[in-house]
Amino acid sequence: METRPLGDTGHDSTVMTFGAIALNWLEQEGANQLVEHVLDYGVNHFDVAPTYGDAELKLGPKLRQHREEIFLGCKTQERTYEGAWRKLDRSLNRLGVEKIDLYQVHGLEYDEELNEITGDDGALTGFREAKEQGLIDHIGLTSHGDPGLILDALDRIDDLESVMFPLNPVVAGKDGDEYDYEAVLARADEKNVGTLGIKAFAGGSWPPTDELPEADRPFANWYRPVTAPDEIRERFDFAAAQGLTSVINAGDPKLITMILEAAADYDGMDEAAQRSVIERARHDDSPVPEQLHH
Amino acid sequence: MDVPDTVATALGDRPVTGRRCLEAGAGMGNATAGLLANGAARVYAVTNDPDHARTTRRRVADSGVADSGGDGSDGDGSDRGNDADRLAVLKADLRSIPLPDGSVDLITAHGLCNVLDPAALSTVAEELSRVAAPGAHLVVDDYDPLPDGTAIGELFAVENAASELARCRPALTFYPAAFLRRFFAGHGWEFERERTLLEPVPWTESHVSAHADEAASMAAECPGEAGDTLSATARRLATEIESESVGRMYSLAFRRPG
Repeated sequence: METRPLGDTGHDSTVMTFGAIALNWLEQEGANQLVEHVLDYGVNHFDVAPTYGDAELKLGPKLRQHREEIFLGCKTQERTYEGAWRKLDRSLNRLGVEKIDLYQVHGLEYDEELNEITGDDGALTGFREAKEQGLIDHIGLTSHGDPGLILDALDRIDDLESVMFPLNPVVAGKDGDEYDYEAVLARADEKNVGTLGIKAFAGGSWPPTDELPEADRPFANWYRPVTAPDEIRERFDFAAAQGLTSVINAGDPKLITMILEAAADYDGMDEAAQRSVIERARHDDSPVPEQLHH
Repeated sequence: MDVPDTVATALGDRPVTGRRCLEAGAGMGNATAGLLANGAARVYAVTNDPDHARTTRRRVADSGVADSGGDGSDGDGSDRGNDADRLAVLKADLRSIPLPDGSVDLITAHGLCNVLDPAALSTVAEELSRVAAPGAHLVVDDYDPLPDGTAIGELFAVENAASELARCRPALTFYPAAFLRRFFAGHGWEFERERTLLEPVPWTESHVSAHADEAASMAAECPGEAGDTLSATARRLATEIESESVGRMYSLAFRRPG
Protein backbone atom coordinates (compact mmCIF):
# COMPACT_ATOMS: atom_id res chain seq x y z
CA MET A 1 0.00 0.00 0.00
CA GLU A 2 1.22 3.51 -0.87
CA THR A 3 2.72 5.50 2.00
CA ARG A 4 3.00 9.27 2.43
CA PRO A 5 5.00 11.35 4.91
CA LEU A 6 2.83 12.38 7.87
CA GLY A 7 3.94 16.00 7.98
CA ASP A 8 7.17 16.48 9.90
CA THR A 9 6.71 13.45 12.16
CA GLY A 10 9.25 11.38 10.24
CA HIS A 11 6.64 8.63 9.88
CA ASP A 12 5.35 7.51 6.48
CA SER A 13 1.71 6.56 6.93
CA THR A 14 -0.11 4.19 4.62
CA VAL A 15 -2.68 6.00 2.50
CA MET A 16 -5.32 4.22 4.59
CA THR A 17 -5.46 4.55 8.37
CA PHE A 18 -7.27 1.87 10.35
CA GLY A 19 -10.03 3.48 12.40
CA ALA A 20 -10.12 1.03 15.28
CA ILE A 21 -13.65 2.01 16.31
CA ALA A 22 -14.58 -0.96 14.09
CA LEU A 23 -13.29 -3.29 16.82
CA ASN A 24 -15.96 -2.09 19.22
CA TRP A 25 -18.61 -4.11 17.40
CA LEU A 26 -16.65 -7.37 17.42
CA GLU A 27 -15.91 -9.97 20.07
CA GLN A 28 -12.25 -10.28 21.03
CA GLU A 29 -11.56 -13.14 18.60
CA GLY A 30 -13.11 -11.23 15.70
CA ALA A 31 -11.22 -8.09 16.72
CA ASN A 32 -7.94 -10.03 16.66
CA GLN A 33 -8.75 -11.34 13.20
CA LEU A 34 -9.65 -7.89 11.89
CA VAL A 35 -6.34 -6.44 13.10
CA GLU A 36 -4.43 -9.27 11.42
CA HIS A 37 -6.47 -8.69 8.26
CA VAL A 38 -5.68 -4.98 8.23
CA LEU A 39 -1.98 -5.66 8.84
CA ASP A 40 -1.95 -8.19 5.99
CA TYR A 41 -2.74 -5.29 3.66
CA GLY A 42 0.24 -3.39 5.02
CA VAL A 43 -1.70 -0.70 6.90
CA ASN A 44 0.73 0.86 9.38
CA HIS A 45 -1.28 3.70 10.98
CA PHE A 46 -4.02 2.94 13.52
CA ASP A 47 -6.35 5.39 15.20
CA VAL A 48 -8.36 4.80 18.35
CA ALA A 49 -10.02 6.76 21.16
CA PRO A 50 -11.28 6.11 24.68
CA THR A 51 -14.77 7.09 23.54
CA TYR A 52 -15.00 4.19 21.07
CA GLY A 53 -16.64 1.76 23.49
CA ASP A 54 -14.07 -0.88 24.38
CA ALA A 55 -12.06 -0.57 21.15
CA GLU A 56 -8.89 0.27 23.12
CA LEU A 57 -9.20 -2.92 25.14
CA LYS A 58 -9.92 -5.06 22.08
CA LEU A 59 -7.06 -3.53 20.12
CA GLY A 60 -4.64 -4.21 23.00
CA PRO A 61 -3.59 -7.83 22.46
CA LYS A 62 -2.76 -7.57 18.76
CA LEU A 63 -1.32 -4.08 19.18
CA ARG A 64 1.15 -5.41 21.75
CA GLN A 65 2.00 -8.39 19.53
CA HIS A 66 2.69 -6.14 16.52
CA ARG A 67 3.73 -2.95 18.31
CA GLU A 68 6.67 -2.22 15.99
CA GLU A 69 4.53 -2.42 12.85
CA ILE A 70 1.91 0.04 14.06
CA PHE A 71 2.03 3.83 14.32
CA LEU A 72 -0.57 4.38 17.01
CA GLY A 73 -2.83 7.40 17.17
CA CYS A 74 -5.10 7.99 20.17
CA LYS A 75 -7.03 11.00 21.38
CA THR A 76 -8.76 12.73 24.26
CA GLN A 77 -11.83 14.89 24.54
CA GLU A 78 -10.49 16.40 27.75
CA ARG A 79 -9.60 20.07 27.43
CA THR A 80 -7.76 20.62 30.74
CA TYR A 81 -4.26 19.72 31.88
CA GLU A 82 -5.54 17.36 34.60
CA GLY A 83 -8.15 15.76 32.40
CA ALA A 84 -5.72 15.14 29.55
CA TRP A 85 -3.19 13.48 31.87
CA ARG A 86 -5.92 11.31 33.40
CA LYS A 87 -7.18 10.14 30.00
CA LEU A 88 -3.69 9.55 28.64
CA ASP A 89 -2.84 7.32 31.62
CA ARG A 90 -6.11 5.48 31.18
CA SER A 91 -5.55 4.92 27.45
CA LEU A 92 -1.98 3.69 28.00
CA ASN A 93 -3.34 1.24 30.58
CA ARG A 94 -6.24 0.04 28.48
CA LEU A 95 -4.08 -0.37 25.40
CA GLY A 96 -1.30 -1.93 27.46
CA VAL A 97 1.53 -0.01 25.79
CA GLU A 98 4.37 2.24 26.95
CA LYS A 99 3.86 4.93 24.40
CA ILE A 100 1.31 6.47 22.00
CA ASP A 101 2.90 7.72 18.78
CA LEU A 102 0.35 10.43 18.02
CA TYR A 103 -1.84 11.90 20.76
CA GLN A 104 -4.63 14.12 19.50
CA VAL A 105 -7.04 16.68 20.87
CA HIS A 106 -10.32 14.96 19.96
CA GLY A 107 -13.29 16.68 18.32
CA LEU A 108 -12.52 20.38 18.81
CA GLU A 109 -15.72 22.28 18.14
CA TYR A 110 -15.72 25.74 19.72
CA ASP A 111 -13.43 28.75 19.91
CA GLU A 112 -13.55 28.60 23.73
CA GLU A 113 -12.17 25.07 23.58
CA LEU A 114 -9.22 26.27 21.52
CA ASN A 115 -8.57 28.96 24.13
CA GLU A 116 -8.83 26.37 26.87
CA ILE A 117 -6.47 23.75 25.41
CA THR A 118 -3.84 26.38 24.57
CA GLY A 119 -4.02 28.00 28.06
CA ASP A 120 -1.55 27.35 30.90
CA ASP A 121 -3.89 24.79 32.48
CA GLY A 122 -4.90 23.43 29.12
CA ALA A 123 -4.65 19.95 27.68
CA LEU A 124 -1.69 20.84 25.47
CA THR A 125 0.47 21.66 28.49
CA GLY A 126 -0.18 18.09 29.61
CA PHE A 127 0.54 16.76 26.11
CA ARG A 128 3.92 18.55 26.09
CA GLU A 129 4.90 17.15 29.47
CA ALA A 130 3.93 13.68 28.31
CA LYS A 131 6.05 14.20 25.22
CA GLU A 132 9.07 15.19 27.35
CA GLN A 133 8.53 12.05 29.41
CA GLY A 134 8.46 9.91 26.29
CA LEU A 135 4.83 8.79 26.72
CA ILE A 136 3.77 10.31 23.41
CA ASP A 137 5.81 11.22 20.35
CA HIS A 138 3.68 13.68 18.38
CA ILE A 139 0.74 16.05 18.93
CA GLY A 140 -2.32 16.21 16.70
CA LEU A 141 -5.85 17.57 16.61
CA THR A 142 -9.15 16.30 15.24
CA SER A 143 -12.31 18.21 14.40
CA HIS A 144 -15.43 17.90 12.33
CA GLY A 145 -16.23 21.45 13.25
CA ASP A 146 -15.84 24.72 11.47
CA PRO A 147 -12.86 24.83 9.06
CA GLY A 148 -12.08 28.33 10.35
CA LEU A 149 -11.52 26.93 13.83
CA ILE A 150 -9.09 24.30 12.49
CA LEU A 151 -7.24 27.03 10.59
CA ASP A 152 -6.94 29.01 13.84
CA ALA A 153 -5.65 25.93 15.62
CA LEU A 154 -3.02 25.45 12.90
CA ASP A 155 -1.89 29.03 13.39
CA ARG A 156 -1.91 28.98 17.19
CA ILE A 157 -0.40 25.58 18.02
CA ASP A 158 3.21 25.62 16.86
CA ASP A 159 3.99 22.01 17.69
CA LEU A 160 0.90 20.57 15.98
CA GLU A 161 1.99 17.76 13.68
CA SER A 162 -1.29 16.39 12.32
CA VAL A 163 -4.90 17.44 11.79
CA MET A 164 -7.87 15.15 11.18
CA PHE A 165 -10.98 16.54 9.48
CA PRO A 166 -13.81 15.57 7.07
CA LEU A 167 -13.23 15.53 3.33
CA ASN A 168 -15.53 14.00 0.75
CA PRO A 169 -17.19 14.99 -2.55
CA VAL A 170 -20.34 16.24 -0.82
CA VAL A 171 -18.50 18.92 1.19
CA ALA A 172 -16.04 19.56 -1.66
CA GLY A 173 -19.01 20.48 -3.90
CA LYS A 174 -20.35 23.08 -1.48
CA ASP A 175 -19.19 26.67 -1.40
CA GLY A 176 -19.13 28.72 1.75
CA ASP A 177 -16.49 28.91 4.46
CA GLU A 178 -18.29 26.39 6.67
CA TYR A 179 -17.48 23.66 4.12
CA ASP A 180 -14.02 24.85 3.14
CA TYR A 181 -11.94 21.95 4.42
CA GLU A 182 -9.84 22.31 1.26
CA ALA A 183 -8.46 25.48 2.87
CA VAL A 184 -7.50 23.42 5.92
CA LEU A 185 -5.71 20.93 3.70
CA ALA A 186 -3.85 23.71 1.90
CA ARG A 187 -2.77 25.45 5.13
CA ALA A 188 -1.68 22.15 6.70
CA ASP A 189 0.39 21.39 3.59
CA GLU A 190 2.04 24.82 3.77
CA LYS A 191 3.02 24.15 7.37
CA ASN A 192 4.01 20.56 6.64
CA VAL A 193 1.39 19.24 9.07
CA GLY A 194 0.06 15.73 8.36
CA THR A 195 -3.56 15.42 7.20
CA LEU A 196 -5.95 12.60 8.07
CA GLY A 197 -9.34 12.44 6.33
CA ILE A 198 -12.57 11.31 7.99
CA LYS A 199 -16.11 10.91 6.60
CA ALA A 200 -14.74 9.99 3.18
CA PHE A 201 -17.48 7.36 2.87
CA ALA A 202 -20.41 9.41 4.17
CA GLY A 203 -23.41 9.14 1.86
CA GLY A 204 -25.75 11.35 3.87
CA SER A 205 -27.66 11.50 7.12
CA TRP A 206 -29.75 8.64 8.43
CA PRO A 207 -33.49 9.09 8.03
CA PRO A 208 -35.20 10.58 11.12
CA THR A 209 -35.56 8.04 13.93
CA ASP A 210 -39.36 7.95 13.63
CA GLU A 211 -38.87 6.60 10.10
CA LEU A 212 -35.85 4.40 10.87
CA PRO A 213 -35.22 3.70 14.57
CA GLU A 214 -31.56 3.65 15.51
CA ALA A 215 -31.77 -0.06 16.29
CA ASP A 216 -32.84 -0.76 12.69
CA ARG A 217 -29.93 0.99 11.00
CA PRO A 218 -27.92 -1.53 9.00
CA PHE A 219 -24.54 0.10 9.67
CA ALA A 220 -22.79 1.18 12.83
CA ASN A 221 -21.86 4.60 11.46
CA TRP A 222 -22.87 8.05 12.61
CA TYR A 223 -23.84 8.76 9.01
CA ARG A 224 -25.30 6.63 6.22
CA PRO A 225 -22.25 5.23 4.41
CA VAL A 226 -21.90 4.42 0.74
CA THR A 227 -21.82 0.64 0.55
CA ALA A 228 -21.40 -0.55 -3.05
CA PRO A 229 -17.82 -1.65 -3.86
CA ASP A 230 -17.42 0.75 -6.79
CA GLU A 231 -18.75 3.67 -4.74
CA ILE A 232 -16.39 2.81 -1.89
CA ARG A 233 -13.51 2.71 -4.35
CA GLU A 234 -14.51 6.01 -5.91
CA ARG A 235 -14.81 7.69 -2.50
CA PHE A 236 -11.42 6.35 -1.41
CA ASP A 237 -9.76 7.45 -4.64
CA PHE A 238 -11.34 10.89 -4.36
CA ALA A 239 -10.18 11.44 -0.77
CA ALA A 240 -6.67 10.13 -1.43
CA ALA A 241 -6.40 12.23 -4.60
CA GLN A 242 -7.13 15.45 -2.67
CA GLY A 243 -3.67 15.05 -1.17
CA LEU A 244 -4.52 13.89 2.36
CA THR A 245 -1.73 11.96 4.01
CA SER A 246 -4.11 9.15 4.88
CA VAL A 247 -7.82 8.28 4.70
CA ILE A 248 -9.60 6.67 7.65
CA ASN A 249 -12.04 3.84 7.04
CA ALA A 250 -15.75 4.03 7.80
CA GLY A 251 -16.33 2.68 11.29
CA ASP A 252 -18.41 -0.37 10.46
CA PRO A 253 -16.41 -3.63 10.22
CA LYS A 254 -18.60 -4.83 7.31
CA LEU A 255 -17.08 -2.15 5.08
CA ILE A 256 -13.44 -2.57 5.99
CA THR A 257 -12.38 -5.17 3.43
CA MET A 258 -13.80 -3.12 0.55
CA ILE A 259 -11.93 -0.07 1.81
CA LEU A 260 -8.69 -2.04 2.22
CA GLU A 261 -9.04 -3.30 -1.35
CA ALA A 262 -9.61 0.21 -2.64
CA ALA A 263 -6.61 1.51 -0.68
CA ALA A 264 -4.36 -1.30 -1.87
CA ASP A 265 -5.32 -0.62 -5.50
CA TYR A 266 -5.14 3.19 -5.24
CA ASP A 267 -3.47 4.60 -8.31
CA GLY A 268 -4.53 8.27 -8.38
CA MET A 269 -7.63 9.88 -9.84
CA ASP A 270 -7.44 12.57 -12.51
CA GLU A 271 -9.10 15.94 -12.01
CA ALA A 272 -11.94 15.42 -14.51
CA ALA A 273 -12.88 12.21 -12.69
CA GLN A 274 -12.72 14.03 -9.32
CA ARG A 275 -15.08 16.70 -10.64
CA SER A 276 -17.33 13.95 -11.93
CA VAL A 277 -17.68 12.55 -8.40
CA ILE A 278 -18.33 16.03 -6.96
CA GLU A 279 -20.91 16.75 -9.63
CA ARG A 280 -22.78 13.52 -8.93
CA ALA A 281 -22.82 14.19 -5.20
CA ARG A 282 -24.06 17.72 -5.86
CA HIS A 283 -27.01 16.50 -7.91
CA ASP A 284 -27.86 13.70 -5.48
CA ASP A 285 -27.92 16.26 -2.71
CA SER A 286 -29.31 19.27 -4.54
CA PRO A 287 -32.13 21.54 -3.44
CA VAL A 288 -32.17 22.99 -6.98
CA PRO A 289 -34.82 21.76 -9.45
CA GLU A 290 -33.94 18.85 -11.72
CA GLN A 291 -31.52 19.85 -14.44
CA LEU A 292 -30.73 18.57 -17.90
CA HIS A 293 -27.07 19.59 -17.63
CA HIS A 294 -24.01 19.71 -15.36
CA MET B 1 -25.96 29.30 -4.36
CA ASP B 2 -23.11 26.91 -4.94
CA VAL B 3 -21.01 27.33 -8.05
CA PRO B 4 -20.67 23.93 -9.72
CA ASP B 5 -17.09 22.71 -10.07
CA THR B 6 -17.60 22.46 -13.81
CA VAL B 7 -18.30 26.20 -13.99
CA ALA B 8 -15.52 27.09 -11.54
CA THR B 9 -13.06 25.08 -13.62
CA ALA B 10 -14.20 26.55 -16.92
CA LEU B 11 -13.97 30.12 -15.58
CA GLY B 12 -10.83 29.51 -13.52
CA ASP B 13 -8.42 30.88 -16.12
CA ARG B 14 -10.74 33.55 -17.60
CA PRO B 15 -10.71 37.24 -16.59
CA VAL B 16 -14.12 37.85 -15.04
CA THR B 17 -13.48 40.55 -12.43
CA GLY B 18 -14.98 43.85 -13.48
CA ARG B 19 -16.19 42.52 -16.85
CA ARG B 20 -19.57 42.76 -18.54
CA CYS B 21 -20.64 39.14 -18.96
CA LEU B 22 -23.34 37.26 -20.82
CA GLU B 23 -24.59 33.81 -19.87
CA ALA B 24 -26.09 32.57 -23.11
CA GLY B 25 -28.83 30.09 -22.27
CA ALA B 26 -29.14 30.58 -18.54
CA GLY B 27 -30.73 27.25 -17.55
CA MET B 28 -30.58 27.24 -13.75
CA GLY B 29 -28.12 30.13 -13.74
CA ASN B 30 -25.09 27.98 -12.94
CA ALA B 31 -22.64 30.04 -15.00
CA THR B 32 -24.31 33.23 -13.74
CA ALA B 33 -23.50 32.11 -10.20
CA GLY B 34 -19.86 31.57 -11.18
CA LEU B 35 -19.61 34.92 -12.96
CA LEU B 36 -21.07 36.80 -10.00
CA ALA B 37 -18.86 34.92 -7.55
CA ASN B 38 -15.80 35.79 -9.64
CA GLY B 39 -16.60 39.48 -9.49
CA ALA B 40 -18.29 40.26 -12.80
CA ALA B 41 -19.30 43.91 -13.06
CA ARG B 42 -22.56 42.91 -14.72
CA VAL B 43 -24.13 39.65 -15.82
CA TYR B 44 -26.80 39.39 -18.50
CA ALA B 45 -28.47 35.98 -18.17
CA VAL B 46 -30.37 35.37 -21.39
CA THR B 47 -32.92 32.58 -21.70
CA ASN B 48 -36.13 32.09 -23.63
CA ASP B 49 -37.55 29.87 -20.91
CA PRO B 50 -39.65 31.81 -18.35
CA ASP B 51 -39.12 29.08 -15.73
CA HIS B 52 -35.37 29.31 -16.15
CA ALA B 53 -35.49 33.09 -15.95
CA ARG B 54 -37.47 32.87 -12.71
CA THR B 55 -35.18 30.18 -11.24
CA THR B 56 -32.03 32.15 -12.01
CA ARG B 57 -33.46 35.33 -10.52
CA ARG B 58 -34.68 33.54 -7.40
CA ARG B 59 -31.46 31.59 -6.82
CA VAL B 60 -29.37 34.73 -6.92
CA ALA B 61 -31.81 36.74 -4.81
CA ASP B 62 -32.15 33.96 -2.20
CA SER B 63 -28.54 33.22 -1.69
CA GLY B 64 -26.24 36.16 -2.16
CA VAL B 65 -23.38 34.61 -4.09
CA ALA B 66 -20.10 34.72 -2.23
CA ASP B 67 -17.98 37.36 -3.92
CA SER B 68 -14.41 36.12 -4.03
CA GLY B 69 -13.51 38.38 -6.92
CA GLY B 70 -9.84 37.91 -7.70
CA ASP B 71 -7.57 40.50 -6.13
CA GLY B 72 -10.48 42.39 -4.61
CA SER B 73 -9.98 45.41 -6.82
CA ASP B 74 -12.99 46.80 -8.54
CA GLY B 75 -11.72 46.41 -12.07
CA ASP B 76 -13.39 49.15 -14.02
CA GLY B 77 -14.70 50.67 -10.80
CA SER B 78 -18.23 49.48 -11.39
CA ASP B 79 -20.56 48.57 -8.57
CA ARG B 80 -19.82 45.11 -7.23
CA GLY B 81 -22.22 45.25 -4.32
CA ASN B 82 -25.41 43.28 -4.15
CA ASP B 83 -25.47 40.30 -6.52
CA ALA B 84 -29.02 40.98 -7.64
CA ASP B 85 -27.94 44.52 -8.59
CA ARG B 86 -25.27 43.13 -10.90
CA LEU B 87 -27.63 40.68 -12.61
CA ALA B 88 -30.09 41.31 -15.42
CA VAL B 89 -32.12 38.28 -16.46
CA LEU B 90 -33.37 38.84 -20.00
CA LYS B 91 -36.15 36.66 -21.34
CA ALA B 92 -35.22 36.58 -24.99
CA ASP B 93 -34.35 34.32 -27.91
CA LEU B 94 -30.61 33.90 -28.35
CA ARG B 95 -31.11 34.18 -32.09
CA SER B 96 -31.95 37.80 -31.44
CA ILE B 97 -30.16 39.02 -28.31
CA PRO B 98 -31.50 42.33 -26.96
CA LEU B 99 -28.03 43.82 -26.46
CA PRO B 100 -26.11 46.29 -28.63
CA ASP B 101 -23.14 45.37 -30.83
CA GLY B 102 -19.84 45.00 -28.97
CA SER B 103 -21.42 45.30 -25.52
CA VAL B 104 -20.03 42.32 -23.56
CA ASP B 105 -16.50 41.27 -22.55
CA LEU B 106 -17.09 37.63 -21.70
CA ILE B 107 -19.68 35.13 -22.90
CA THR B 108 -20.44 31.71 -21.47
CA ALA B 109 -22.30 29.01 -23.38
CA HIS B 110 -22.38 26.43 -20.59
CA GLY B 111 -24.27 23.33 -21.78
CA LEU B 112 -25.95 25.44 -24.45
CA CYS B 113 -24.88 24.09 -27.83
CA ASN B 114 -26.32 20.61 -27.28
CA VAL B 115 -29.84 22.04 -27.14
CA LEU B 116 -29.29 23.95 -30.41
CA ASP B 117 -29.79 22.14 -33.71
CA PRO B 118 -27.31 23.11 -36.46
CA ALA B 119 -29.56 25.86 -37.86
CA ALA B 120 -30.08 27.46 -34.45
CA LEU B 121 -26.40 27.06 -33.54
CA SER B 122 -25.42 28.90 -36.69
CA THR B 123 -27.67 31.89 -35.95
CA VAL B 124 -26.76 31.99 -32.26
CA ALA B 125 -23.04 32.02 -33.09
CA GLU B 126 -23.60 35.06 -35.29
CA GLU B 127 -25.43 36.83 -32.48
CA LEU B 128 -22.80 36.00 -29.88
CA SER B 129 -20.14 37.33 -32.24
CA ARG B 130 -22.14 40.51 -32.79
CA VAL B 131 -22.59 41.40 -29.10
CA ALA B 132 -18.95 40.57 -28.25
CA ALA B 133 -16.64 43.56 -27.77
CA PRO B 134 -13.22 43.47 -29.46
CA GLY B 135 -10.95 41.26 -27.31
CA ALA B 136 -13.95 39.56 -25.66
CA HIS B 137 -13.70 36.02 -24.28
CA LEU B 138 -15.99 33.11 -25.11
CA VAL B 139 -16.31 29.92 -23.04
CA VAL B 140 -18.14 26.99 -24.63
CA ASP B 141 -18.78 24.02 -22.32
CA ASP B 142 -20.46 20.98 -23.78
CA TYR B 143 -20.54 17.22 -24.24
CA ASP B 144 -18.76 15.03 -26.75
CA PRO B 145 -21.08 12.59 -28.54
CA LEU B 146 -21.72 9.54 -26.35
CA PRO B 147 -20.09 6.25 -27.26
CA ASP B 148 -22.38 3.66 -28.84
CA GLY B 149 -24.44 1.31 -26.72
CA THR B 150 -25.03 3.42 -23.60
CA ALA B 151 -28.31 3.32 -21.72
CA ILE B 152 -28.51 7.10 -21.34
CA GLY B 153 -27.91 7.34 -25.11
CA GLU B 154 -31.07 5.30 -25.62
CA LEU B 155 -33.04 7.78 -23.53
CA PHE B 156 -31.62 10.70 -25.54
CA ALA B 157 -32.60 8.86 -28.73
CA VAL B 158 -36.19 8.65 -27.51
CA GLU B 159 -36.10 12.33 -26.53
CA ASN B 160 -34.80 13.20 -30.00
CA ALA B 161 -37.36 10.98 -31.79
CA ALA B 162 -40.21 12.64 -29.89
CA SER B 163 -38.76 16.07 -30.62
CA GLU B 164 -38.34 15.32 -34.34
CA LEU B 165 -41.94 14.11 -34.61
CA ALA B 166 -43.40 16.94 -32.54
CA ARG B 167 -41.23 19.87 -33.70
CA CYS B 168 -39.25 18.67 -36.71
CA ARG B 169 -35.92 19.20 -34.97
CA PRO B 170 -33.76 17.24 -32.52
CA ALA B 171 -33.88 18.07 -28.82
CA LEU B 172 -30.19 17.31 -28.29
CA THR B 173 -27.16 17.43 -30.57
CA PHE B 174 -23.83 16.51 -29.04
CA TYR B 175 -21.14 18.35 -31.00
CA PRO B 176 -17.59 17.01 -30.72
CA ALA B 177 -15.13 19.49 -29.16
CA ALA B 178 -13.14 19.56 -32.39
CA PHE B 179 -16.28 20.49 -34.33
CA LEU B 180 -17.19 23.49 -32.15
CA ARG B 181 -13.58 24.57 -32.04
CA ARG B 182 -13.45 24.89 -35.83
CA PHE B 183 -16.99 26.21 -36.01
CA PHE B 184 -16.34 29.18 -33.70
CA ALA B 185 -12.98 29.76 -35.38
CA GLY B 186 -15.01 30.11 -38.57
CA HIS B 187 -16.98 32.85 -36.82
CA GLY B 188 -13.76 34.76 -36.17
CA TRP B 189 -12.98 33.50 -32.64
CA GLU B 190 -9.36 32.63 -31.88
CA PHE B 191 -9.07 29.33 -30.06
CA GLU B 192 -7.20 29.56 -26.73
CA ARG B 193 -7.54 26.27 -24.87
CA GLU B 194 -9.50 23.09 -24.23
CA ARG B 195 -10.09 21.46 -20.80
CA THR B 196 -11.88 18.31 -19.76
CA LEU B 197 -14.49 19.27 -17.18
CA LEU B 198 -16.00 15.85 -16.47
CA GLU B 199 -14.91 12.38 -17.48
CA PRO B 200 -16.95 10.34 -17.07
CA VAL B 201 -20.06 12.52 -17.06
CA PRO B 202 -22.32 11.53 -14.14
CA TRP B 203 -25.87 11.31 -15.52
CA THR B 204 -27.58 11.10 -12.14
CA GLU B 205 -31.10 9.99 -11.26
CA SER B 206 -32.06 13.64 -11.31
CA HIS B 207 -30.72 14.16 -14.86
CA VAL B 208 -32.31 10.94 -16.08
CA SER B 209 -35.67 11.90 -14.67
CA ALA B 210 -35.43 15.45 -16.09
CA HIS B 211 -34.68 14.06 -19.57
CA ALA B 212 -37.42 11.46 -19.28
CA ASP B 213 -39.90 14.23 -18.36
CA GLU B 214 -38.71 16.25 -21.34
CA ALA B 215 -39.13 13.27 -23.66
CA ALA B 216 -42.58 12.51 -22.28
CA SER B 217 -43.79 16.08 -22.65
CA MET B 218 -42.64 16.20 -26.28
CA ALA B 219 -44.12 12.76 -26.92
CA ALA B 220 -47.45 14.17 -25.76
CA GLU B 221 -47.28 16.61 -28.70
CA CYS B 222 -46.62 13.79 -31.20
CA PRO B 223 -49.46 12.70 -33.43
CA GLY B 224 -50.97 9.20 -33.12
CA GLU B 225 -49.64 6.08 -31.49
CA ALA B 226 -46.00 7.03 -31.86
CA GLY B 227 -46.33 9.54 -29.03
CA ASP B 228 -47.76 6.97 -26.63
CA THR B 229 -45.02 4.48 -27.47
CA LEU B 230 -42.24 7.02 -27.05
CA SER B 231 -43.68 8.26 -23.78
CA ALA B 232 -43.93 4.71 -22.41
CA THR B 233 -40.39 3.94 -23.58
CA ALA B 234 -39.03 7.08 -21.89
CA ARG B 235 -40.70 6.09 -18.61
CA ARG B 236 -39.42 2.54 -18.83
CA LEU B 237 -35.87 3.68 -19.57
CA ALA B 238 -35.91 6.15 -16.69
CA THR B 239 -36.75 3.32 -14.29
CA GLU B 240 -34.22 0.94 -15.81
CA ILE B 241 -31.29 3.35 -16.05
CA GLU B 242 -31.40 5.11 -12.67
CA SER B 243 -27.99 6.63 -13.35
CA GLU B 244 -25.01 6.13 -15.63
CA SER B 245 -21.55 7.70 -15.76
CA VAL B 246 -20.35 7.92 -19.34
CA GLY B 247 -18.91 10.36 -21.89
CA ARG B 248 -16.96 13.60 -21.55
CA MET B 249 -17.83 17.22 -20.88
CA TYR B 250 -15.30 19.71 -22.24
CA SER B 251 -14.61 23.41 -22.02
CA LEU B 252 -13.33 25.46 -24.97
CA ALA B 253 -12.08 29.02 -24.59
CA PHE B 254 -11.83 31.54 -27.40
CA ARG B 255 -10.93 35.20 -27.79
CA ARG B 256 -12.20 37.82 -30.18
CA PRO B 257 -9.33 39.64 -31.93
CA GLY B 258 -8.81 43.01 -30.19
